[in-house]
Amino acid sequence: MGRIIEEIYVWRLPVRFYHWINALCMVALFATGIYIAAPVLNPALGEAVWHKSMAWWRYLHFAFAFIFIANFLFRLYWALFGGDKYARFGGFRPWSPKWWGKPFREQVESYLFLRSDEPNYVGHNPVAALAHFIFIFCGSTFMIFSGLAMYGENNPAGFSGVWFGWLIPLFGGSYSLHFAHHLFAWIFPVYVIMHLYAVFRHDIVDRTSVTSSIITGYKHKVEEEPV
Amino acid sequence: MQSNQTFADLFRARGVSRRDFLKFCSLTSVYLGLSSSMAPALLEAMEKKPRTPVLWIHGLECTCCSESFIRSSHPTIENLLFNMISLDYDDVLSAAAGHQLEAVRKKIMKEYKGKYILAVEGNVSTKDDGVYCMVGGDSFLNILKETAADAAAIIAWGTCASFGCVQNAAPNPSGAAPVSDIIKDKPIVKVPGCPPISEVMTGVIAHFHTFGTLPELDRLGRPKAFYNTRIHDKCYRRAFFDAGMFVTSFDDEATRKGWCLYKMGCKGPTTYNSCSKIQWNGGTSFPIGSGHPCIGCSEPNFWDKGPFYERLASVPFLGSDSNADKIGMVAVGAAAAGAAAHAAVTAVKKVKSDKLGNDKA
Repeated sequence: MGRIIEEIYVWRLPVRFYHWINALCMVALFATGIYIAAPVLNPALGEAVWHKSMAWWRYLHFAFAFIFIANFLFRLYWALFGGDKYARFGGFRPWSPKWWGKPFREQVESYLFLRSDEPNYVGHNPVAALAHFIFIFCGSTFMIFSGLAMYGENNPAGFSGVWFGWLIPLFGGSYSLHFAHHLFAWIFPVYVIMHLYAVFRHDIVDRTSVTSSIITGYKHKVEEEPV
Repeated sequence: MQSNQTFADLFRARGVSRRDFLKFCSLTSVYLGLSSSMAPALLEAMEKKPRTPVLWIHGLECTCCSESFIRSSHPTIENLLFNMISLDYDDVLSAAAGHQLEAVRKKIMKEYKGKYILAVEGNVSTKDDGVYCMVGGDSFLNILKETAADAAAIIAWGTCASFGCVQNAAPNPSGAAPVSDIIKDKPIVKVPGCPPISEVMTGVIAHFHTFGTLPELDRLGRPKAFYNTRIHDKCYRRAFFDAGMFVTSFDDEATRKGWCLYKMGCKGPTTYNSCSKIQWNGGTSFPIGSGHPCIGCSEPNFWDKGPFYERLASVPFLGSDSNADKIGMVAVGAAAAGAAAHAAVTAVKKVKSDKLGNDKA
């Protein structure tokens, strides 16, 4: 392994905190959500009044959901007003044809083995930015809106019911909205697999210590070893 | 029957005491979710206002709404309610038939122009100019448009008229459409359910009669008084749901103990109706009370969201019968396989380029 020639501080503390809180919430929300849809544990013995098994699973789901929402809103704030050049929306302009131009094409070609060199980015590469936009931004937004709409169902005149309840008729009823929420939850495990694979691969191929960067904040450039 | 008889007159003529009449008024205001201060308003309307003429027309339907309506079990209350509206036209219940009955409809439409309520049971076949539902020699599509034109308001009885129900389940061969798809310029109150609860039906009419307006409606056009909460929220088995005590088959111990039917596909958590509050047949029971999961009959397109006995809807996916979890697992599998394949290609390339590098050196 070559000598480290440069150390770059990429992920600042708020970004790292956001990342790990988000990861924890995603895992917890997926697990509790799947359990709520199919409660598989054996029922407790005795009278119902002493037990809160299902209620606890739901409570955890809602608790993690509110942490997830707060964390998501914080990240939006950070992207818009944090002044953090590796964590802002700045460079991401999918509405402009220019954004889909050379850098994006080169990165796609690299992933498809159509080029031998690996374009290297300190922050997110254009393909990663697009993936995060689709899975994390759009995906989370949908899950948050549909989740709050369902959360408001037992109090239709409350905050969630009034502000998010319109999703229920939009999806053609409460059951269809539950179904969509359940179906779209699966984008998160799909994303996690792709995300972990991409990170490990970049770390091995580019040797930028991208894996540890989300703990330490630092990426490295390594001197090419003479062969 | 006199045409401008009030309810009070009618009750008196039938030998109902004033005390019973007051009871009826208070009970109706409770059903409607009105505050106690509104009961006198209801009383006054019942005593002084002439009965509201109702034209009740039937399209593509099974008459279960009418069956529910006439099967109320408190004769002193519901049967009088049935009489309280001036039900001037109903092709199922009227004594007259044929041209005689159609003449009544035309007469009411003219005499009470803009004042009568149009009650629609069943939905409208729209395909091929509506030939799949003919009433009295004309298509129901035309009859609905004609009768709705001068109505004060429309009550869509049942899931058929409200959302479509069985008739417009996929593939909807007759192009069945709910009333709100056909009539756009009239206030419509949707009273879904297959059938709706009789007290809910009479309550909606009582509200219109009392206040001259439709009851407050929710986002799907249903009266909030009856459709504001889910069956699940008021279910007497809710304690078993929260405790995680579920029926898992119809012949297990849990069934006998009356545990929660969630895992048997109960749609109570996603169904807005009053079944767990008002119940059926004068408060005798309701489906969950009889040990059967709710099938969500008052929800839009409930027929296409089956199966009834499973929580998760079946959906066609890649030519097979699937559900959200199966689709999700296929997607996760595909992502994992894609990553593995990509890793393999990366490794092969690396080995090749290393070799090339070594050869060069």
